[in-house]
Amino acid sequence: MMMPHFTVHQPDSLEEALDLLGRHRSSVKVFCGGTDLLIKMRSGALSPDHLVSLTRVKGLRTISYAESDGLVIGGAARLAEVGKNAEVKKLYPALAHACSVMATVQIRNMGTVAGNLANAAPSGDTLAPLLAYGASLVAVERGGRRQIKLTDFFTGPGLNVLEPLEIIEAIRVPDPPPRCGSAYMRLSARSKVDIAAVGVAGFMNLDLDGKVIRCRLALASVAPTPVRCPEAEAMLEGQKPDDTLLAQAGAACVRACRPIDDVRATASYRRAMVQALAQRVLAKCYAQAAGGEA
Amino acid sequence: MKNPAIIGQSIPRLDAPSKVTGKAIYTDDMKLPGMLYGKLLRSPLAHARIKRIDVSKAKALPGVKDVIVGADTPGVKYGNWRLVPQSQDELPLAVDKVRFVGDEVAAVCALDPETAEKALGLIEVEYEELPAILSVEEATAEGAGLIHQESKGNVSLVRKIDYGDLDQMFAKADYVREDTFRVHPVQHAYMEPCSSLAQTEEGNRVTLWTSTQTPYIVQCLLASTLGLPENNVRVMKVQIGGGFGGKMELRPWEFCAAFMSLRTGRPVKFTLTRHDELAYGRRRHPMTIYSKVGFKKDGMLLAKDFQVMLDGGAYNAMGPTATFLCGTFGNMLYNYPAYRYFGRHVYTNKPPASAMRGFGAPQAAFAAETQMNMAAEELGIDPIDIRLMNAMQTGDVIPDVATISSCGFKESLEEVRRISGWDQKRKNKTPGKGLGIGCFSFISGGVFNWFNTKYNFSAAEVKVFEDGTAQLAVMACDIGQGPDTVLRQILAAELGIPIHKIRLISMDTACTPKADLGTWGSRVTLMNGNAIIEAAGKIKAMLRPVMFSELDLNQIHDLAFEDERVFVRANPKKGMDFAECVYKALRGREGEPLTARGYYTPRNKGLVSPAFSFGAQVAEVAVDQDTGQIQVEKMYTAHDCGVAINKMSVEGQLEGAIQMGLGYALMEDLVMDDQGRTLNTTFLDYKMPAAEDMPPGESVEIETYEPEGPFGAKEAGEGLAIPTAPAISHAVFEAVGYRCMETPITPEKVLRALGKIK
Ligand SMILES: Cc1cc2nc3c(=O)[nH]c(=O)nc-3n(C[C@H](O)[C@H](O)[C@H](O)COP(=O)(O)OP(=O)(O)OC[C@H]3O[C@@H](n4cnc5c(N)ncnc54)[C@H](O)[C@@H]3O)c2cc1C
Repeated sequence: MMMPHFTVHQPDSLEEALDLLGRHRSSVKVFCGGTDLLIKMRSGALSPDHLVSLTRVKGLRTISYAESDGLVIGGAARLAEVGKNAEVKKLYPALAHACSVMATVQIRNMGTVAGNLANAAPSGDTLAPLLAYGASLVAVERGGRRQIKLTDFFTGPGLNVLEPLEIIEAIRVPDPPPRCGSAYMRLSARSKVDIAAVGVAGFMNLDLDGKVIRCRLALASVAPTPVRCPEAEAMLEGQKPDDTLLAQAGAACVRACRPIDDVRATASYRRAMVQALAQRVLAKCYAQAAGGEA
Repeated sequence: MKNPAIIGQSIPRLDAPSKVTGKAIYTDDMKLPGMLYGKLLRSPLAHARIKRIDVSKAKALPGVKDVIVGADTPGVKYGNWRLVPQSQDELPLAVDKVRFVGDEVAAVCALDPETAEKALGLIEVEYEELPAILSVEEATAEGAGLIHQESKGNVSLVRKIDYGDLDQMFAKADYVREDTFRVHPVQHAYMEPCSSLAQTEEGNRVTLWTSTQTPYIVQCLLASTLGLPENNVRVMKVQIGGGFGGKMELRPWEFCAAFMSLRTGRPVKFTLTRHDELAYGRRRHPMTIYSKVGFKKDGMLLAKDFQVMLDGGAYNAMGPTATFLCGTFGNMLYNYPAYRYFGRHVYTNKPPASAMRGFGAPQAAFAAETQMNMAAEELGIDPIDIRLMNAMQTGDVIPDVATISSCGFKESLEEVRRISGWDQKRKNKTPGKGLGIGCFSFISGGVFNWFNTKYNFSAAEVKVFEDGTAQLAVMACDIGQGPDTVLRQILAAELGIPIHKIRLISMDTACTPKADLGTWGSRVTLMNGNAIIEAAGKIKAMLRPVMFSELDLNQIHDLAFEDERVFVRANPKKGMDFAECVYKALRGREGEPLTARGYYTPRNKGLVSPAFSFGAQVAEVAVDQDTGQIQVEKMYTAHDCGVAINKMSVEGQLEGAIQMGLGYALMEDLVMDDQGRTLNTTFLDYKMPAAEDMPPGESVEIETYEPEGPFGAKEAGEGLAIPTAPAISHAVFEAVGYRCMETPITPEKVLRALGKIK
């Protein structure tokens, strides 16, 4: 298919971007790296007359960290920039890892974290780590701003609660407490350069006695949306984990997923991989948390 | 014999800068004034009778210039095996029946691609669905419906090889095993999807620019299907983005472009999409391979019974040749006192399989090499030792097939054993890690002439000019594998002039010498190289009288052509510049240029090939026993391609071959549903190894001198694509005990074998 004609707008400010969205409301899409959007336009699945690009909007590409605020990822920050950011690498290793192994070099240089979230593919690589960190996002439209918890954001494959004219201005990730660990592991069924067939992210925070204060586990690619694993999280919270408990919790994650058979992998393989990866992720989180590493 | 210095050099491809900077022109980049865009309507059903086609609405769409169906065409069947007319089973557009999902039913051309696409949707076809036959077992079952009425039980071709006393040898054997292997389909996945552009002149002459490996075959078959004299069809190329065997026949869009151009008087272009390629394109044959092999206790081979069913899909394509070569490569590597091959090419309602890098050999070798490893294991003999014991050597004869004129197989085995650290690593095994071996042999071009050409297999025309430059014209085609550089190296070596002083005209059936059978079977360097050497020899003979008379040489003197000079070999000071010599030779010829032609056709070289390459490869893998993921950590290769004319080019072939072998073993697969539709038709789901998946490698070239090859060269194009899959499979077995009998090797299969998933 040839791409139909469309107009790209490149506003400098958020206000202007919101105005443009409003003016062309009947057929407009927000456009960041275009690594999802252009493919859908080429295949004919989407055919907006207008694209409002966020790449030149001032301040939208910043990645900032402060103990008081935690991490704030601008709505136009690129995957590669997030993956290479020193603070992200140190304090949010699961996210840094996701941003540096997903897709390809070229795609990471163009694609954004906000685009990954807005695209809401169940296999999206930043989704599970951000869920594990308890992230939320700031959405803005002409009427004002709202904060949306990531746990409330995804509603189905490719679907989320954003309004058509809303822009993700930033993604906010809480400051990591002391004695915490986090990890993300993903498997693709075949090539390394592939979308994930299974992704597991974990976050764990211990008290001074070594008991789990909080654990969050999130799975990608194994249900219509990324999912958390409440049963496994509850098994760990308040406990001083040993190998058996970590293994049991990993196994419990399987009950949170609803995988399908497709050309990439069978459901039974995905279930087995959720368990295998969850156990590894938990072991890694625990070792980091107990070792006092970030 | 000492070769000229330019032979064996690593000369970067002369076409590389334009390709890596995106400046190279491919067929789809071309636009001619008034050009129309063509599109094909394909069958949505795997097997059906066409009851009615109505194109009136499509024709009426503004912008549509022509719509054709099978009934509008001359209806001449075609196929590359012209010598066996009943094997020619394909029509450019289906008449009466469709035989696979994607079979071409109608073609449209219009002012723009969107209109053409829209017009396809307006064509009404009424089908009567027939039962789809999707496996060789169904196709050959008693009472199965016939896909082609003319075939016997859906078997289109049978090939048999039989020598030695099989029963007697099996009776003598101490150890006999029987195994059945199944190998899956993969695709060439060349970077450039097929594209063809036709232009008409003077009413009934056609020029076709097309992405092909076989211009001469396309010229002949296009002429016969159009009902035109051969000479009215000119086939040319611009750049070609890979082929690997997938572009070596006449294809429907080539016919449709030419035919519609003749009808409309305007240029017509067809370009396929990646979806078209993956969903309907040619592929490597899936096969069911039964192999029975017998050994003495000590590991000496006695006999092999090799029975293969090739899943050919809906048409023969290059399946007959693959059937033939599969049998040849079932026994090629080792000495078998008795061997029997029974190969059947079977029709199914799937996209036709055809030639693909290795041409029947990768499948045969997967079975044969895996079985060799199984036997070694059970006999308690090291897999390399058992191979050394039985390995083919220079001078060995395969009855009725070939005499091996050069063979570095044993040396390859010994070298790969050394560089991979085989003995130490097998002694100190690490759980989850393993080394595996696979070997290969391959042809350097075919001796067979099923196309029934009246011309030589290869030809070259050389002209030299008084400015010291030369022009080389060959029909051979560089589809990305590098002959545009290597062939010039051969001429440069012969004439002693630098490679950049040679202009190349290649692949134009109207003005390059007739003929060349094309790029397949790893034939170009050997065959075209020999033709160039013959042509250059004639040029040198034309220059001799000048030298002898100008320098008053003695009859016993021998001339040398080096460093842009012609001189007496025994007395290099005595000579002149090449340019001057050409200038002098041209005088008095009344303007007749210095031109010579050379030819090559293999003669008295058995039934298969003038020369065979050999080699061995070791894969080192690590298997994650929780996830089943296989990491190929390193590949070690030792191979004999005779004299490597361009070392860099040979290394490139090796790397590319490992990439394809890795994909074949672990990742690539065309997945089909029960209606014969291919499910993975994008590169998102058809998984090929990417740069990040490539293992590091180490390699050694075993240099032999092939007497039949130009400067001692043999093939290096396809053979290397053969050993990787069996080597990886063996390494996985050594690592975790899973023996793959049905490719590809996936993490799921590994985990199932380990009992970790059901
Ligand atoms: C070859 C290839 C490989 C890939 N591999 C992976 C992979 O391994 N893992 C993975 O997760 N993804 C992968 N992707 C998908 C894609 O690259 C990511 O989802 C990327 O993060 C999308 O970001 P983008 O900026 O390009 O989004 P765009 O394409 O610009 O936009 C995507 C969607 O988000 C909306 N949007 C974008 N930004 C905002 C915003 N700030 N506010 C509101 N809405 C917004 C757009 O309107 C659109 O609907 C791959 C893509 C390709 C082409």
